[in-house]
Amino acid sequence: MDEWKPNPAVKPHKKRSWYLAWKYKLMNQRALRKLCQTGAVLFLLVTVIVNIKLILDTRRAAYEEEEESAQDYDDEMLNVEVPRHPVNNKKVLDVEVYSSRSKVYVAVDGTTVLEDEAREQGRGIHVIVLNQATGHVMAKRVFDTYSPHEDEAMVLFLNMVARGRILIFTIKDEGSFHLKETAKNVLKSLGSQVAPFLSWRDMWTFVGKKGGEVYGEKHAKSPALSTWGDPVLLKTEVHLTSVEDAECHWPDTELNRRRKRFCSKVEGYGSVCSCKDPTPIEFNPDPLKDNKVFDVPVAVIAGNRPNYLYRMLRSLLSAQGVNPQMITVFIDGYYEEPMDVVELFGLSGIQHTPISIKNARVSQHYKASLTATFNLFPDAKFAVVLEEDLDISVDFFSFLSQSIHLLEEDESLYCISAWNDQGYEHTAEDPSLLYRVETMPGLGWVLRKSLYKDELEPKWPTPEKLWDWDMWMRMPEQRKGRECIIPDISRSYHFGIVGLNMNGYFHEAYFKKHKFNTVPNVQLKNVESLRKDNYETEIHRLLGEAEVLDHSKNPCEDSFVPDTEGKVYVMFIRMEQEADFTTWTQLAKCLHIWDLDVRGNHKGLWRLFRKKNHFLVVGVPASPYSSKKPSSVTPIFMEPPAKEEGAVAVPAVAAAEQT
Amino acid sequence: MQKINRNVVLALLSLTSLVFLLFQLCYYKFYLSQKNGAAFSKVRGSQSGQDSTRWHVVRKFLGLISSHNIPVYLIDPLILGLINKDIEQIRSSPDGPSPECKYFCAPRDFTTFALLDKTWKHEVGLFRTAEKMGFQWLKIINKDPRLDGMDDLSGMEIPLHYIFKLASHAIHLVVFYERSGNFLWHGPLRLKQHMDRKFVPFRKLHFGRYPGAYEKPELLLVSIDDLKVQIPKNPSSFLEEMSHSRFLECRYREARAFFQLYPDDVSLDAVEFRKKAKSLLHLAALTLNNLGVKFWLSSGTCLGWYRQCNVIPHSKDVDLGIFIRDYKADIIPAFQKAGLPLKHKFGKVEDSLELSFQGEDDVKLDIFFFYEEDDHIWNGGTQAKSGKKFKYLFPKFTLCWTEFVELKVHVPCETLQYVEANYGPEWKVPVKTWDWKSSPFNVQDNGVWPIDEWDNVIQIY
Repeated sequence: MDEWKPNPAVKPHKKRSWYLAWKYKLMNQRALRKLCQTGAVLFLLVTVIVNIKLILDTRRAAYEEEEESAQDYDDEMLNVEVPRHPVNNKKVLDVEVYSSRSKVYVAVDGTTVLEDEAREQGRGIHVIVLNQATGHVMAKRVFDTYSPHEDEAMVLFLNMVARGRILIFTIKDEGSFHLKETAKNVLKSLGSQVAPFLSWRDMWTFVGKKGGEVYGEKHAKSPALSTWGDPVLLKTEVHLTSVEDAECHWPDTELNRRRKRFCSKVEGYGSVCSCKDPTPIEFNPDPLKDNKVFDVPVAVIAGNRPNYLYRMLRSLLSAQGVNPQMITVFIDGYYEEPMDVVELFGLSGIQHTPISIKNARVSQHYKASLTATFNLFPDAKFAVVLEEDLDISVDFFSFLSQSIHLLEEDESLYCISAWNDQGYEHTAEDPSLLYRVETMPGLGWVLRKSLYKDELEPKWPTPEKLWDWDMWMRMPEQRKGRECIIPDISRSYHFGIVGLNMNGYFHEAYFKKHKFNTVPNVQLKNVESLRKDNYETEIHRLLGEAEVLDHSKNPCEDSFVPDTEGKVYVMFIRMEQEADFTTWTQLAKCLHIWDLDVRGNHKGLWRLFRKKNHFLVVGVPASPYSSKKPSSVTPIFMEPPAKEEGAVAVPAVAAAEQT
Repeated sequence: MQKINRNVVLALLSLTSLVFLLFQLCYYKFYLSQKNGAAFSKVRGSQSGQDSTRWHVVRKFLGLISSHNIPVYLIDPLILGLINKDIEQIRSSPDGPSPECKYFCAPRDFTTFALLDKTWKHEVGLFRTAEKMGFQWLKIINKDPRLDGMDDLSGMEIPLHYIFKLASHAIHLVVFYERSGNFLWHGPLRLKQHMDRKFVPFRKLHFGRYPGAYEKPELLLVSIDDLKVQIPKNPSSFLEEMSHSRFLECRYREARAFFQLYPDDVSLDAVEFRKKAKSLLHLAALTLNNLGVKFWLSSGTCLGWYRQCNVIPHSKDVDLGIFIRDYKADIIPAFQKAGLPLKHKFGKVEDSLELSFQGEDDVKLDIFFFYEEDDHIWNGGTQAKSGKKFKYLFPKFTLCWTEFVELKVHVPCETLQYVEANYGPEWKVPVKTWDWKSSPFNVQDNGVWPIDEWDNVIQIY
């Protein structure tokens, strides 16, 4: 039809002449002319129809092709319609706060965001922080201000909360006994009228904006020492601000976008969310030369202690030679806040549905995390295992890089650990020194894949066994006489105070004074001497040059070790057989080192420092090194105190180290 | 009056047809431009606009990824096919000038590249640069299969495919992940609901219909058509591998449901047996792979994979299948060399061949040879004391890759039919007492071996 171009409409006068000529010419062939005309009309009609059909066809074909092309590739879950939350344009929040002896609750717009009526729990001041633009809960804390020092923690927390946030306070049971002046003043500065006069067993609720208006406060005095104030219920309205006002205006970079997401969701992380000069979230520590652990995956085992995780990840990401791509954080439970912390640092996080309870839950979480780590990094021969309540030394990876080949080559090794159980401020001295020990310290350690896959994973304690994974790993059936390499000065620091087996008292007694290396790039000495046979030679050499201490003195006394520096001393204690630790436990107790179970031994030998001298303890006659004892020396024997107390305490807290 | 009317009608019709003509022209042009993109300025004299568009898009893309230090390599089957023809020449003169645009100008809709997941990290910057360069991009993410097998772990979704579109050409970037079993895996391409289904004709993609499993390729840096690009060192073996790369994920969810019903045996014996079965399977896979003999998980081992993603602890042996056409006489000596003595040999190459090797502590490795007929496949069995023959029938199947006990192995792609043929519709229920002569669903009597052949077809060691 392209050739068929009658053009009558376009040029009217020409058409006319053409038409006339045609008309006269064909006058006498009327029939023919008519036929032609009809033919032309028909042809035109057909063209039009064909055209329309063609257009429709191509259209449909094109549409079908595209529809079809994607069909195979549709996600199976295609039909699951995601329910969209209605955009909340509401400007006012209804807040309800209840305070009483046995129950507190906070409801925001009818949604309960806090409810605590458990007995013997949750005593003190509950604080909730809301985002002033969205009304979302950004932080929830409870400070047991009935007990000492908790008010200081509260002040610290309140100071970290950004200006403009909405703060909700409510007391459960008792919250004033150890609420000191400073804390009361902080509450007063937030606009509370009652706080300065808050007293024994008063009930109190307060809603206010940090650095701004007060939305409401209610208080019920306790009429007498033995009774509580009447329950109070505060109902108030909070006016929301616009999102722009609630956010900082950081330059638009990828890092700041992460920061923004984080800071609009959670509170209580201090300067990371400051509008002015926020603390960095990328650290770029110096790379390590010849880093042998750059490709070793790092599994961070975490629970719901996001503030710990935050501190831990900061130190980990600041360690020299860290490779953030190899880090995976395993969170036990579907907690949002730890995940927010992980995302803030741009790391990958995996959540794990809790299985079982207590120790078994931790143990199952460990198993899942380790299995997942080796699945995600199938090439890895090792994995570094860390916990969320550890500070990581700046030379952590340097330490591992220098020692990891031992784990690969020496079959008699079980692990490399960054933690020395006996490495306290007064007993550790040399950052370049390593030991071999028969115990598995954990707290930042390297696991060999073959050990995990071939031995541990298949027989890992099942969920119904309430075992500690680390105690299980220390059992002779698992350890099979293999040893771990540890540094004299730990490369990790255990800062966790709250935990499954942890409390403030315990932490203060056993962890606080632990020595932690802060020197970068420590060159380890004699790494080769850590191999099985070399180590024996090394020990014999050490014992050969060691000066035997005066065994008539009391080893607990400071004067037992002369006031020298850099010398090697040896003492001998009684140790009837391999498992006889009676004297050692007493010695450890008086030296104020780990005495809850036996740690840090190697064939009946302990190595530590006293007064900057290397101090060796040999158990006679069980230790093969007993032969080094001069015949004139009688091994020291120390008896446990007559009371049964010690014996009871040991099993009770033996498992307490891991949290 | 009638005449004028007729003339008017004629004129009107002509006008309409003209309008249609114009419209059609416009539409055609529009359709064409949508299909092939805006015409690109001719740069390379001898090339038409279309051809050089492809070359340009590839060049731009390579510039983009090299500016972000992302190591990609070419896996486009079309181009690799072309390269393969001239591979000797390309290898010998890696920097040689190419007289014409021979490879990257070849007509096609996509160019496919591969990316190893572990060799890169931040993508945000990449996309921004890509947008500035005029690329439109699409990212396809999905669950991480490496965590799928684990109880109740939920990780972040991982990127599986990227598509970068510029003008009429698109770059398909397939992300490869390392899996346990020392191989590379790429995911399927599945569009989520909100995604643009017309972004590219997805159907024409060479990768993504199914997940795939590949060996880690050795790479070669070559310069072709004035572009430096990494390609698999041996394109022909890569292309061959690609044609059989389909990967099946284990049915982890069903396996979990199975263990809910029938709790796993975690006794020391079970743990020990699994360990031995695993190492036996690893040894067998190593031996057969070295010989270049294709094998798959059969019988109980296949059932274990399909039903519970693990070795069945009470199965007491490891079963493999091999097509009789892949039989090699070296198989027996190779296993003996690997420390697995022959325990018995039933049948002969022409009929019902079956080999059994003795692994560590009573764990046996059974190798069944499969015979293909027009409409089915079968393997044979022999009862030693009576010389009775049995025949096990299976519907026809093809082979897929899977991951099993840290090993990349074949299983029948049509696993359900295979397992159902063998174990019947009740295959989901564990059976502890099993008689190979009567229990299988697909067993048939197949006569008796003639006595004079017994010495040959029934060999027990």
